[in-house]
Amino acid sequence: MRIPMHSPLPGRGAARTLMLTLAVAVSAAGCDFLDPTNVENPLTTTEDLARATEPTRALLPGLRAQFARVLGGTMVLTEVVSDNYSIHGTGLNSEYDNPRAIVPNIVNATGTATGLYWNLQELRALSTFVLDDIVPGDNSATTEQLAEIRYYRGMAFLMLAENFTAAPLEVDGTPVPASELLARALADLDASLASGVSGEFNLRARAAQARAHRLGGNAAQAAQAAQQALAAQADFVFLQGYDATSITNQAFVFTTQRALKEMQPLPRLDFLDPKYTSLSAGAPVAKAEEMHLILAEIALASGSLGAARGHLADAITLAQSRPRPNFTDNDQRQNADLTVRPRNAEIVIRADPQSPFRSGLVLTRPGSVPVPTISGTSLRADSVRALTGEEETWHAFHLARQEIHFLEGRRMSDLGIRLPMMLREIDANPSINPGDAGTTVVVPSYIPEGNGMDVFTPSSPYDDDDQLVTTQVTIQVDMNRVLARERVNAFN
Amino acid sequence: MNSHRPEPSPDRIRSHHPVLRPPPRRLATLGASLFAALLLLGAGGELAAQTGSIQGTVIDAQSGRALVGTQVSIPGTQRGVVAGAQGRYVLENVPAGEVTLRFQIIGYELVDRVVTVQAGTTVTLDVQLRTRALAMDELVVTGVGQATSRRQLSTSVAVLGEQAIAEAPVQSIDQLLQGRVAGSTVSAVSAQPGTGSQISFRGVSSVFGSQTPVIYIDGVRVDNSSATAPGTGGEQSSALADLLTTDIERIEVTRGGPASTLYGSDAATGVIQIFTKRGRPGAPRINARIEQGFDAPDLKYILDAGEIYPSRVESGELPADFLAQSFFRTGWVQNYSLGVSGGSEDVTYNVSGRVQDAEGIQPRNESNLISTRGSLQANLTDRSRLQFSGSYTRSSYGRLYNGTAIADPLTALEVGDALFFTGASTVQEATEIFLLADIEELVERTGFSGGYIYEGSDLFGFRATLGVDRRASEQTQFQPIGFTPGDEEGSLQRFQRNFTSATVDAAASLNWPSTENLRSTLTVGAQGFRDNEYRIFGSGVGFALPGSKDFDDAATITAGESRSQVFTGGIYLDENLAIRDRVFLNLGVRFDAGTSFGDEVDFATYPKAGIAWDVGRETFMEDLAGRWVTEFRLRSAYGETGKFPPPFLRDRTFSATSFREESAPRFSNPGNLDLRPEVTKTFEVGFEAAFLDDRIGVDFTWYDATTEDALFFVPEQPVTGQGTQIRNVGEISNRGIELDVSALLVNRANFSWQVGATYQTVDNEVVSMGGAAPFFVEPQKRVVEGQVVGAWFVTTPFDSNGDGNLNASEQRFIRDCDDCKAYGPTPTRSGGVSTRFSLGPSLTLSARGDWAAGHKVMDFGSVWSTFNGIYRREIREEGYEYPIRYNAQGQPGRPYAQSAARSEFIYDGDWFKLREISARYAIPGALLSRVGAQGGGAFFSLRNAWIWSKNPLIDPELSGLNPAGGGLALGGESSITMSPPRSFRFGLEFTF
Repeated sequence: MRIPMHSPLPGRGAARTLMLTLAVAVSAAGCDFLDPTNVENPLTTTEDLARATEPTRALLPGLRAQFARVLGGTMVLTEVVSDNYSIHGTGLNSEYDNPRAIVPNIVNATGTATGLYWNLQELRALSTFVLDDIVPGDNSATTEQLAEIRYYRGMAFLMLAENFTAAPLEVDGTPVPASELLARALADLDASLASGVSGEFNLRARAAQARAHRLGGNAAQAAQAAQQALAAQADFVFLQGYDATSITNQAFVFTTQRALKEMQPLPRLDFLDPKYTSLSAGAPVAKAEEMHLILAEIALASGSLGAARGHLADAITLAQSRPRPNFTDNDQRQNADLTVRPRNAEIVIRADPQSPFRSGLVLTRPGSVPVPTISGTSLRADSVRALTGEEETWHAFHLARQEIHFLEGRRMSDLGIRLPMMLREIDANPSINPGDAGTTVVVPSYIPEGNGMDVFTPSSPYDDDDQLVTTQVTIQVDMNRVLARERVNAFN
Repeated sequence: MNSHRPEPSPDRIRSHHPVLRPPPRRLATLGASLFAALLLLGAGGELAAQTGSIQGTVIDAQSGRALVGTQVSIPGTQRGVVAGAQGRYVLENVPAGEVTLRFQIIGYELVDRVVTVQAGTTVTLDVQLRTRALAMDELVVTGVGQATSRRQLSTSVAVLGEQAIAEAPVQSIDQLLQGRVAGSTVSAVSAQPGTGSQISFRGVSSVFGSQTPVIYIDGVRVDNSSATAPGTGGEQSSALADLLTTDIERIEVTRGGPASTLYGSDAATGVIQIFTKRGRPGAPRINARIEQGFDAPDLKYILDAGEIYPSRVESGELPADFLAQSFFRTGWVQNYSLGVSGGSEDVTYNVSGRVQDAEGIQPRNESNLISTRGSLQANLTDRSRLQFSGSYTRSSYGRLYNGTAIADPLTALEVGDALFFTGASTVQEATEIFLLADIEELVERTGFSGGYIYEGSDLFGFRATLGVDRRASEQTQFQPIGFTPGDEEGSLQRFQRNFTSATVDAAASLNWPSTENLRSTLTVGAQGFRDNEYRIFGSGVGFALPGSKDFDDAATITAGESRSQVFTGGIYLDENLAIRDRVFLNLGVRFDAGTSFGDEVDFATYPKAGIAWDVGRETFMEDLAGRWVTEFRLRSAYGETGKFPPPFLRDRTFSATSFREESAPRFSNPGNLDLRPEVTKTFEVGFEAAFLDDRIGVDFTWYDATTEDALFFVPEQPVTGQGTQIRNVGEISNRGIELDVSALLVNRANFSWQVGATYQTVDNEVVSMGGAAPFFVEPQKRVVEGQVVGAWFVTTPFDSNGDGNLNASEQRFIRDCDDCKAYGPTPTRSGGVSTRFSLGPSLTLSARGDWAAGHKVMDFGSVWSTFNGIYRREIREEGYEYPIRYNAQGQPGRPYAQSAARSEFIYDGDWFKLREISARYAIPGALLSRVGAQGGGAFFSLRNAWIWSKNPLIDPELSGLNPAGGGLALGGESSITMSPPRSFRFGLEFTF
């Protein structure tokens, strides 16, 4: 039942006026805000992209950034899988240290530290998008731009081939074997070179061509490309730069900042660490040392030991000429259990129980240490020239390659390890089933079980008070010796 | 529990149903003019009156006990009082003539009595009320076109009344719902200030976005985001934390399904409607409340120094109870509130304010809160009125990194990382370094609602609401020079978020025909709302000198922003038909359009239909059951609700990063022009029954909800170079029951005893993924057909060569047998229990607990401690040994890496919490009169009194690891995060 309202009270008229004014004001003010046409996407849409005046030029920095992501992922992920680094903190999956335990889920990452597969596919897809969908309609696209884009796509194919046994290249596609990936890499690199551009991207593409032919075992073409590159510039080096605030050098994050104290080098490689001393530090993507190493490998594989030692000596000489700025490294060199790893210059290391102890491999830390930012090696040209025997030469070759390419994301591939593609690809692609080519890790039988590549004794040469107890440290396995004995090389 | 709760006066009646097509600007302006014109139309007409008074007492019909707290009101007006000591009430200035008085109190029948008031005299009306287990005559407005008694509903709507809200020893709405609403799962995130709970109704119906129900305050949609600032570890700030329970008259809750259909593309996760208090005519009434108390940490799951740093304890460097002694503390809490309400016949007001200060149970957890709320309403005529309400809340608090952060003192201390990450030589020194970090957050929230109600005649009515909720927050994270070992730089991050939600809503109803045998109410409504969110952050790294807290002093400065906007509007029709006042039919439909829908999608349509049969009122039933069955009502309903996709995900987009002084674009969203809301279709059947002379009430619902076109963030094949695209591909099923039982066991003059329980089950399953590949919705939580959403899929050690030794690891579901359904992180069974005693005329004691079971939880703290060789489960679980990995030759090696043995960190999630214990004492009138008070009481409460859990390592209720950005939060995993504290409160409240 309703109760009639009575009794107008003083002030009622004023109250009504006030309330009505309020209501009308609020209604009117709310109109714009409640206008649905006033909803705009703040991101670039396809329609927006179509309005870009020079879309190829606009998208090219994206490819540069993506290539930086690719390198970041390669440097962190593959280095910890290899014998170069081991994991001692909470920031990285410790299963990376045990290559045989790597399953697609473990590499199911999209970030710039461990998302190698993801970032390679994105680089390839983004390059293809620009080449196929943007360039044909863009009259402003230049030959130089096209050469650079083809270089990036070539590198994407090449690095897929280096680190994976197979990968799909189209939606719902079956995995393409590494040999085909390599062929596509060479097609792009050849096209980049054929465009006739000179300068940086000519030389980078040439060096990549040598690298790709080496991986494919094409000795003649590899040698030719390597020599052409050296002829163009005998000491060339190209760095992929990073950015201190957006796409940072991920190897720096994990090996220099070490917020989570994740990555520690194998003690015999201590003197090479950390390679990158700032968030924006450039990482080598092509350098003349590699050309010498390729020529050395070809010579070794063909039995020309003397020539091989000569090329090796050239690589070492060049590496030693590279800058070694001092850097104050605060790292405590700790294992995960807070025990201390080798960190004093008086420590001597042997690469395995049968090898002699060597000094100079461990630097005193925390403290100021020289850092080879491009290349460094413990080998000396004279010593290499004086080597005798095939195995010793192979050993020196592998050691030189390991040291000179330290923290460049090359060692895992050289060890013969190939990663599985990420789980998402296997899950989402109906043409790929678990167990298919490219879906399982490949670890050669000569790789020791578990984390055997990273083990040394004693695990800490210090006592509870961090006082040095012994100066002698022995690595369990010298993987360069293993590679030498197995005659692992690209030209078998 | 069901019981009588205050009836919403018609002015609370609102609906929230969007406008059809997003109206162009011109139309919107026209709409505003129309709105204003209607206001003017209703104005005018005044009648003079003379007044008298009504007085009397309200007592229990059976026991004769005075019913203190009974609300006595005149329906359809703002007039009313609350019965005080001895159940006495006095209602003054009542217009002369025939007046209906309504008496209502929780647990009793609602009684209307007609009395004739003569001008200048006082009439006495004493009333006896009979207990009622079910509040079937209570009016609800949520999910129906206009206010409808629960007896007529074909669905289940839960209601929390003023008394239940006022007596609850809680601060925010999410805490209030805990254990009080059947069908809800409400899990706290942590003890840190500013965090809210995870709320979900009827299981996980969607695999994208938050499960948090939409929330309306006085008809205006408000911010319900559970991630309003960057995480400070695993925890994120939540907009729920500043939705306070102060000055709330009632809350209505629909748990999705047909009861939510009229809310359209917004309601699949349920709707919570909050109605704030209004003033009542009369002299100013002042309410004052003083509350003091303290929060004490619950250390049940804390492993102290004696267990984590035994060698340092043995050496005397560290006390075994270092954390209990030196880290945690008992924090004092003060809470004061003051309110005044009153007004004339035509203009009433209610204004209140509250200040609160709390020290927190951990260092740097201090918090401070100021809030005000006010309402104003004016009768324009005897058939139309305007009402406004507004609120302002300012909340500031400090935080610790907690949950997952490396800079987190508690986790670092608990997992043995403290020295590792600080470089300190003692645990004490490490703790000091951790506490250097300064995290502050400030939230300011302003809400406004304006409404107009026109009841032109018994035939026709109209109402409109317009309002805004605006929440602005700023978080500062300052890491001073020296915070990070070796880092002489320091860093500062500042983050601001501005969220605004605007709602406009209008509805008209036609009551025709309206005969004894057939009553029809047809409502047509329209609603639109728009959400704007703007986030901006700045960061500075590298300070030359200490003291600076401006990030523009830093060596490296970065900034970023994100913006989102969405508009959704719709219209609805709702028809309620009452046949012989026994059978009730409800039909309705809502049409929606929204800016987040794809270009190929026009409207989303949500129909509903329901029927209820009040069997208990049928003559044959009365003959058959008599007083044994006093209520029996069957109901069944079908309804569809939606959940709209996030803004802009229909578009193919590119996003760029600043890279080496260039703007570097890459693929962003792949795009989907077919994007449309996912639709949850719910069929439910239930009954309400009261037995044994209305002493036992039962409310039962069985529901079967299927989410079709479920939106999945479908991972694109990496070969595309694209990330994930939200697509309508899946089907998710939730089935279960909701049971709510209450019983009045004893009802005597000096003693009464009520008990209650809620119980619910959820059987959740991803029925179909529409061909999309399985994916992880959160790390370790898999979405795959045939399993619950987010089934645990974790690395599990196993024997691969049959030699009896564990030597391998692979991801497996956690399940009891190969054919069994895997466990997920969300409970499959949960419930609450409560009891309440009334002793004598003044003392009330009550207790409440809630529990959950049937799920598994993950313990990340113990994962991390393995890096330091600490196996926490071995410490706490007798006989347990962490597995060793054997090699192929059968020789034991190292313990499994945590990443290869996550199954070892997943435990039974069953828990029970004694959530609240409280006592209230109504101060006798003689004492009150000495201080000039009309009413008053003293109270004591203890919240989070006691925890039981099956596992000894983590509080399984906590969901301390929240996904960034407020996405789907399944919970069930936490790191070292404190349980909500034991909160002791005592205080006094008076009405003058």
